[in-house]
Amino acid sequence: MAITVGLLFVVGVVVRLILLQTDLPQWVANKNEVITPLTAWERVQEGLALKKNMISPYDGDIFHETPILLKIMEVVNNFPNGSKYFFVILDVWMGLLLLSITNKFAGYKLTQQAEGVKKYSVDVEKIILRSKDLKHLGSYVIAVHFLNPYTISTCLARSTASVSNLAIIYLFYYMLHNKLILCTFFIAVATYQSFYPFILCAPVALYFYSHQTSSKSDRSYNSSKAIFSYTRTCLLSIGWLMALLGLSCVMEGSWSFLYSTYGFILTVPDLSPNVGVFWYFFTEMFEHFRVFFICVFQINAVVYTVPLAVKLRKNPVFFLYMLIFLTSIFKSYPSYSDVGLCLTLLPLWKHTFSYMRNSFVVACMYICCTVFAPVLWHLWIYAGSANANFYFAITLVFSTAQIFLVTDLLFAFLRREYDLYNGTTHKLENGETTQIILE
Amino acid sequence: MAATMKRILSVLFIYTSTTLNLNIYAEVVDDFKEELFIKPLPSGHVYFHFQFTTTWEADFENPKSFEHYRLFPKSLGHVLTTYKVQELHLSQTQGLWRHDKWGYPVSSAPPGAELWVWFQPSIKSLDDTWSELVNAVSGHFCTSLNFLDSKSTAAPRWSFRPHGVASDGYSSFSKFVRYGALPREIVCTENLTPWKKLLPCNTKVGFGTLFKAIKLYDANYHSLGLDVRPVCRDSDCKRTSIELSQSLSVVFDPSVKNNEHQDWSLKKILGDVLSSRCPLASSSKIFVDTTSNIPKSIFTLSPDPDSVETITRGGEKRQYAVYDVGLQTAGGRVLNLGAKYDNPVQHNDIIPPPIYAQRYITGYGLEQGGVTCLIYNNLDTNLTVIYMETLPWFTRFYFKSLTIVNQNKQIHPYKVHYIPGKDRSRSYHLELVFRLRANSVTKISYKFERAFLKWTEYPPDANHGFYINSAVISTVLPTASNYTSTPQSSSSIETSFQDKSENFFLRIHTETLLVSLPTPDFSMPYNVICLACTVVAIAFGSIHNLTTRRFVKLDPSKKRGLLAKIKAMFIKQKNTKSDETSEKETDKEDEKEKDE
Repeated sequence: MAITVGLLFVVGVVVRLILLQTDLPQWVANKNEVITPLTAWERVQEGLALKKNMISPYDGDIFHETPILLKIMEVVNNFPNGSKYFFVILDVWMGLLLLSITNKFAGYKLTQQAEGVKKYSVDVEKIILRSKDLKHLGSYVIAVHFLNPYTISTCLARSTASVSNLAIIYLFYYMLHNKLILCTFFIAVATYQSFYPFILCAPVALYFYSHQTSSKSDRSYNSSKAIFSYTRTCLLSIGWLMALLGLSCVMEGSWSFLYSTYGFILTVPDLSPNVGVFWYFFTEMFEHFRVFFICVFQINAVVYTVPLAVKLRKNPVFFLYMLIFLTSIFKSYPSYSDVGLCLTLLPLWKHTFSYMRNSFVVACMYICCTVFAPVLWHLWIYAGSANANFYFAITLVFSTAQIFLVTDLLFAFLRREYDLYNGTTHKLENGETTQIILE
Repeated sequence: MAATMKRILSVLFIYTSTTLNLNIYAEVVDDFKEELFIKPLPSGHVYFHFQFTTTWEADFENPKSFEHYRLFPKSLGHVLTTYKVQELHLSQTQGLWRHDKWGYPVSSAPPGAELWVWFQPSIKSLDDTWSELVNAVSGHFCTSLNFLDSKSTAAPRWSFRPHGVASDGYSSFSKFVRYGALPREIVCTENLTPWKKLLPCNTKVGFGTLFKAIKLYDANYHSLGLDVRPVCRDSDCKRTSIELSQSLSVVFDPSVKNNEHQDWSLKKILGDVLSSRCPLASSSKIFVDTTSNIPKSIFTLSPDPDSVETITRGGEKRQYAVYDVGLQTAGGRVLNLGAKYDNPVQHNDIIPPPIYAQRYITGYGLEQGGVTCLIYNNLDTNLTVIYMETLPWFTRFYFKSLTIVNQNKQIHPYKVHYIPGKDRSRSYHLELVFRLRANSVTKISYKFERAFLKWTEYPPDANHGFYINSAVISTVLPTASNYTSTPQSSSSIETSFQDKSENFFLRIHTETLLVSLPTPDFSMPYNVICLACTVVAIAFGSIHNLTTRRFVKLDPSKKRGLLAKIKAMFIKQKNTKSDETSEKETDKEDEKEKDE
């Protein structure tokens, strides 16, 4: 196990370092699927150049990073080739955190199971988790993290989305380590970087509430004690966020960065193609419906918090993962870096995979889209032999693939839960085996 | 008796209105000059520049002086006073002035329309006034200047200083200046008509009679100019006058129709001869640049000029043939000025002017692109230039990619003024001050990224592309080689003969550029909206399903669904019916039993 993980680390780093010497980073850094106007390294450099010339980077409409990140990048950029290796270091850093997360997660899963095992049905030995099942989880997660093309391309393109991904991983890490203050800090950092993670307050609040109340019996999710706990988590996150924004304002000297960053995320003025559903929809939208549909699409990105919070209140970690996945599909400027993060964390739910129904179809869709997106982009933009619809079609399919994956995972998770309490063989009273359906 | 009465009245009036400006009843003092400057160009083209200069002893600051008009067009006067204009410069041009072949024009203008205005310091909200002004000017000259909104307006810091009299405090800030250009604007008859209506003699007499649109718009280059500015009234410059300069520049290529001969005449080129002068004009003259006839005569003018002036300007010797139209057309004669060349045009190497530029788009594909501008300095001295560039918001200019290279060495500009653009509201505006080395080519290049527009933001024929404004290069030349502009003091051509200055302000406009942007499919908004919404609905539907419903065992005996319910209803009915029949049967049986 340790050898495998070590090897994966080495292979991951070597692959990245070798690819950095080729022309691939340059090619990838211009790919709309990999970078967005929010995360492009080129725009960071533009911001740095403007800052150097005493022009506020937020004066124009090219730079959309946050002031603190700009400061960090300024430091990184001072080293020769610093930015290149910075992102490799970030990946390794994330790898280390992920390793710790998987270990903690295995423990968490087993305690959770031990709590509920009394209520489980009798014939669930087959699907019950054992520590040996969770032993290799670390190497799976690390393998996906280091070797999936989405994370590699993000690293090569020097997409600053890596920083928000790191914040989300830290959030996971401190949540599983039961550190409320640090966990809320990283909610704030992630929100500060990419806005949407503010909804992650919900799973974190649920997690810390269930952690406080040790016995499962007296756990009520709408008691005043619970509400107090939720409020505390939310207020802490808001407090941290305010501190970060205040610091940025002090650094920048004005609040103008708010519109350039969060205004840019919310109002979607840049319609450059990406893997999401926003760009072509709002390119072709009728002017008088634009505001309405922007509201609808932005609400859609966060609205899943409510039903999932109710349904998954006993499984806040899975809830957290679902929200990360859903926002990565429906955010206004999604990219492969979000996909990379979701896929990296996917092996954590390996025990539910046997319940998934269309993993083959989803895998094919992922592969096809990843291959065809640059091809159709080339045909549209360079060769002129295709038009926008071709690329739009591929981004739609990609979104659909992600939706299929996330809903399938939710189905698998819920179906497994059902089996845990009702047994794996489903028989009617008259002894006939039967199917399970949603009612 | 009447005279005494009048005197008493006027005395009374003066007594009662000491606070009023006495100019009210003062005589309107103004002056109008019409001039035609003709320059045969070494490339075989002929350059005609009509210059109409109206000087009016009125004061911009004083609205009262705009109550009585004589030669100055009243409609324009209203525009100037309403919008508190200090200087107004408008050019409407068709075609590109080729500096490398033709030298410098009298007034440089970019292809399309260009408007720059200095407002009076007393103005309240400048941006609102600017938008009202462009609408007024647009209506006045039938141009699309109303499209000069905030997206295509800039406030140049160094490139467009006041051209007329201005105090230092006023001109040192670019607060009161606005610049806008429409590179796509097409100039035609509808622009010429309102322009020539401003001339005191219109097209009835004088040079105006030569404006035959069919000929003027069949030229290689055509430019209408209108400049209003304050000029010194006398040498002390304590008081200012208003100068309106209207100019029409045309470049023809007579050799095309003339079997390689450069021969030209007014009749041939402009379609008419001059038969009169404008009686309102204090001077009505034609100047033909005959410098190319020194030392060897290559063409002869007919008729003979009234005088030949030899002047030296900026160290360059020049010769002009001068025609006084009044004399030439006296006694019902007509003037058909023409030149006869001894030999056909010889296309030799043309000595280019001291400084000129060439600008082009680089890169391929519809994603990123670049612009390169080459500035040639043929002088033996270094030259400091101001380079100005305004880019529309949808070509996102990357400041970091800006490089200025001279003789393989990167040079740093002395000064940079950069206003980054904002999506859908402000254009990118860049001004650079840097030095051109002697006898060298300086290359300015930068990168831009093409934005994706909303489908409603594309103009008709979206794949034609989008025009980018000319870059403007301003400098001060130490020599007057090829220089034809008038001196700062007056717009009249004649004054340039007495110009003794040693520095010559030069402004040149480069090519406009055409950039194509990636286009969406304009035909299918409904499909796109439906498809994207479907994808969202898949997610919403699935998650709604999974979170609001629960798993149950399927009992085949309990069929659900509408169809099952309907079926169940029928089955129930059938059952009840069969029950009834069976009941009847049992009744019958009972009866039978009874019978038995």
